[in-house]
Amino acid sequence: MELNIKEIYKSFGEKEVLKNITFSAKSGSAHGLLGRNGAGKTTTIRIVMGVFYPDNGRVLIDGRQIDRSRIRIGYMPEERGLYPKKQITEQLVYLAMLRGMSGSEARKACEKWLERMGMSEYKNKKLETLSKGNQQKIQLAATLMCRPEIIILDEPFSGLDPVNAMLLKDVIKEMIDDGAVVLFSSHQMNYVEEFCDSISILNSGNIVLDGRIAEIKRSYPRDRIAISSAQSDKIAPFIIQKMSGSIISADKSKENENTIVVRLKDPAFKNRLFKELSDNDFDIDEFRVCEPSLNDIFVQYTEAGI
Amino acid sequence: MKHIIQVLKFEYLGCVKSKSFIISTVIFMLLIVLMAFLPGIIMSATSSENAEMPDGEKPVIAVCDKAYNGSKTVKDMFEKNYPFNSIELTDESAEIIKDKINSGDYIFAVMINEPLSVTYFTKNNSLLSVESQMVQSCIKEIYQSLSFEKLGIAPDVSMKIINAETKINTVTTGTDQTKNYLSTYILMMMLYMAIIMYGSMVSQSVVSEKNSRAMEMLITCAKPSHLMFGKVIGSGLAGLTQMVLILSTALVSLKAVPLDKLPKEIRDMLAFPVDTVLYALLFFLLAFFIYSFLLGAFASLASRSEDLNTVITPVMLMLIAAFMVVIIPMNAGTLDGTVMQVCSYIPFTAPLAMFIRVAMSDVTAIEIIISIVVQLASIYIFGMLAAAIYRVGVLLYGNAPKPAEIVKLLKEQHITNKKIKAELKNNRS
Repeated sequence: MELNIKEIYKSFGEKEVLKNITFSAKSGSAHGLLGRNGAGKTTTIRIVMGVFYPDNGRVLIDGRQIDRSRIRIGYMPEERGLYPKKQITEQLVYLAMLRGMSGSEARKACEKWLERMGMSEYKNKKLETLSKGNQQKIQLAATLMCRPEIIILDEPFSGLDPVNAMLLKDVIKEMIDDGAVVLFSSHQMNYVEEFCDSISILNSGNIVLDGRIAEIKRSYPRDRIAISSAQSDKIAPFIIQKMSGSIISADKSKENENTIVVRLKDPAFKNRLFKELSDNDFDIDEFRVCEPSLNDIFVQYTEAGI
Repeated sequence: MKHIIQVLKFEYLGCVKSKSFIISTVIFMLLIVLMAFLPGIIMSATSSENAEMPDGEKPVIAVCDKAYNGSKTVKDMFEKNYPFNSIELTDESAEIIKDKINSGDYIFAVMINEPLSVTYFTKNNSLLSVESQMVQSCIKEIYQSLSFEKLGIAPDVSMKIINAETKINTVTTGTDQTKNYLSTYILMMMLYMAIIMYGSMVSQSVVSEKNSRAMEMLITCAKPSHLMFGKVIGSGLAGLTQMVLILSTALVSLKAVPLDKLPKEIRDMLAFPVDTVLYALLFFLLAFFIYSFLLGAFASLASRSEDLNTVITPVMLMLIAAFMVVIIPMNAGTLDGTVMQVCSYIPFTAPLAMFIRVAMSDVTAIEIIISIVVQLASIYIFGMLAAAIYRVGVLLYGNAPKPAEIVKLLKEQHITNKKIKAELKNNRS
């Protein structure tokens, strides 16, 4: 199954919030929707969910207009949306039944998911009596209970401690392996990097970058080389001396003093650098091309905006 | 349909199981039992008090007669009017009488200065006391009786003339409007209160869903119209449950109370004919739906509970106006006047107006049916309209939109809906 968002435009009053948003996500993979606050992520998600209607453009499943009554969609809104004053089991069963489960199925799924989330002991409590992180877990249970084919998570990790974040990660990975389409919006780049095969970066309602993470990273010039070695004190002057014509700089990394980052004038000099080092019998632990982190890419593409 | 029933069940159970619902129902039921039995309890308490009072200790009323030369009629007349008091004729001075009242020897005293002028001595005078009026009428009777005596008419004959009473036997060819007045009035008040209570419950529920953003989850699972109808019907049934409980308590306790001691007129006024009660329930449901859909729609325009009251004020004012418009003819007795006739077919006033007319006047079956059909049709229209407003309203945060903006949004939504339906149809074919 493939979810396609095609040329979506949306305005609120005079303000154009989304301009020509296009991206797609496939079964068994996660697509990250990144962008600064107010870039249009949540609006895009709400359009996919059918909460808002686009002014123009379409949401397609396998090339056809999405029929939300026939497809199970699990949606976890950023602002969370459950009844604070109602019992947990009661509302989870209610929401699952609205999504088409029978009463007994819903109760079974509710038991199962509360157990999975480690929340069984709270099942008869009112939602508002739980801590924020636990409420979040309940929200996730509500989202995933009906075995959705499309899962939309808007900032699912905000407010979770590392243990719960791990639990959530496992659950989401499991859903991806089961063949769900996951649409994932977050500011936390490490999580995005961990789950998502592809990303779209939104800036002021435009998609400024779209594609598979690996390809995006490869598309950056591969002119920075990191060399890790216990002999880094010797290596740095050696490179500067030997290859002065081919490099721009060779400095110790700020993060790790055993690592030297070399900027080449041309990526093609990489092999020469490697040869020089091995010919001189330096003890090298690691020799790799520095890829930009998602964080760097994100900052680069969104800095100018908003 | 499945969704409507699920939402309905959730709302109904959520309401009926809530503490506030249970507590208010129990309090209402207790109040009704208390109200039904209280007069009886008070009556038996007071009568036993009087019965237990030994003869010698009857409270004393002092009468100082300076105008009728000690006529026996004075004492007789006071004794007749105050059977539970002993009457003491005295010629003490005003000062001594005052002292004796203060010391508690007399409960009050009357000094007859001239045939129609008295001084009334009492310890405490309250605004609501009827004592002085009783004294006045007693003196009047003495005067009348003695005057007739002077003309040669015996006191017993004169009393008969003075107290002559007309027996009236009313034959009503239609419905006797006095007969059901009190019961209709009570039911009408109940109807009005219930509409306000349950209507605001609906609006509260809508705004709290919006506030907690549960709405966002809901509208992605079910159609707004299903949510709206389910919610309103669920709350309506909860209201009906409470009303049935309260009314059946009332009927049972009225049966248990010995009403036969009361005069027939009052008994008639208090009668709750079963068909009137059933009509009350029917019109409650109709009125409730008409107003709740509007309240729900308006409530969905408020983004926080604090704004709710401001937003639903127009609907509440309309309800109050409707109540006033029908209650005035009800009190005036012009139940079949033009105002009421017209009101019976306007959705906002129809349930109230028609209920009063059914209960207290003669209405043909056709009129009732037309009115109910008008109401049902408007419920459907309001329901669909409310669902549409709810759909656009739920996601509007910030200030409540102006009417023109709502119309614009509704139009836009209508167009998009059409477009989506067409596309889905294309998909399937």
